[in-house]
Amino acid sequence: MELDTFIKNFEEAVEDVEVGSLSGNTVYRSLEHWDSLAVLTVIAMVDAEYDLRLKAKELKQIETLSELHALLESKQST
Amino acid sequence: MPKCRFSDVKISGIVTCVPTLEKWIDDELELFGGKVKQLERLKKTIGLHRRRVVDEQTTAADLCEQAARRLIEQSAVEPSQIDTVICVTQTPDYSQPCNAAVLHGRLGLSKYCAALDVNLGCSGYVYGLWLAHTMIASGGCERVLLLAGDTISRLVNARDRAVAPLFGDGGSATLVERSQSSAATFFSLHTDGKGYENLIVPAGGARQPCTKVTAVAVEDEAGNFRSPENLFMDGAEIFNFSITEEPKSVIELLEYAEMDADAVDHFVFHQANRYILSNIAKRLKLDIAKVPMQTVERYGNQSSASIPTAICGELATALADRSSTRLLLSGFGVGLSWASALVEVGDLAVCELIDYTA
Repeated sequence: MELDTFIKNFEEAVEDVEVGSLSGNTVYRSLEHWDSLAVLTVIAMVDAEYDLRLKAKELKQIETLSELHALLESKQST
Repeated sequence: MPKCRFSDVKISGIVTCVPTLEKWIDDELELFGGKVKQLERLKKTIGLHRRRVVDEQTTAADLCEQAARRLIEQSAVEPSQIDTVICVTQTPDYSQPCNAAVLHGRLGLSKYCAALDVNLGCSGYVYGLWLAHTMIASGGCERVLLLAGDTISRLVNARDRAVAPLFGDGGSATLVERSQSSAATFFSLHTDGKGYENLIVPAGGARQPCTKVTAVAVEDEAGNFRSPENLFMDGAEIFNFSITEEPKSVIELLEYAEMDADAVDHFVFHQANRYILSNIAKRLKLDIAKVPMQTVERYGNQSSASIPTAICGELATALADRSSTRLLLSGFGVGLSWASALVEVGDLAVCELIDYTA
């Protein structure tokens, strides 16, 4: 799973975030548009793009997009 | 997981009754702290628009009663010919007796008639149909009156953004009867009780009776207010559950019936919200024209009444135009519980959506 592609998918899932404005170090939960709706759209994106189940609780436990990417990769390998 | 097939049973009429009071999410900007963008995103992404809700005097039983009266009036059936009345609701008039008994009396049904409630929500309509089919197929009944209705708007806290703009109210009546000439009907039923806390009204039952304390609304970390007597929903968990289990169960049922998705004319899902419905449709690669999903933006999520509302509100003309239409019905939600049915509907005596008159 490419980090760059994942970040682009993430930017598209969370509306009103400019494409190309986020990086692996972004603390996504501090984004202005991060709310319960963004949680849903990110979960749906992860399901549709990667066929992985992400829990809302997991999104609350980690900080950056790199960490989220790593979590998904670990899910993919199990 | 029970899967079953029936023959010689058919649905012969459906009426749904909705309250007339309409609420618009556009009027509720205050609930979203004046954030126009957040409200616009909800409208666009989730598909929230307007919903019909009851006043404080009207209950699910009232809505179901009017639907049932219209159904009986339009069908060639006498109240005395009804063998069983099933009422699916989670918002009964009383904690006891059951709504089915109360409505049995109000509708003037015969004493030779069984009456029982089923405590299920969004999956309840399909469960009710399954019970009706079972009762008729076993030989005990000729005609079952299935009432399914809820007034969830009365359980939500008006200051809980996670649920208040979603739920509407409705009541339905469906007549199921024996018929020699009907096509086979297929059902599959599921439960995951480990997820029961994701959609729950914690107080008001025997586990946690209502007290002064349970009446107090408390603010959660997201800034929503609710008391333990209000409905709580973990939206993300319910979303995950829906998009994981629903497509699976639809595929299972089609395989069991040895049928392709192409052979189904309409996929009538519980009208949770447009976002969930379009995600389920996408995963199943369904032709979106075959998936009614306007009911929720007109009436709100009506729990057990949403499938009959979608049939009466969006498909009445399509059903009347053909001698037989194949429907896949699928409900999912509180329990967690989900159920699907593959039915052939044709020549309905009535298929109508009516407004409640006080």
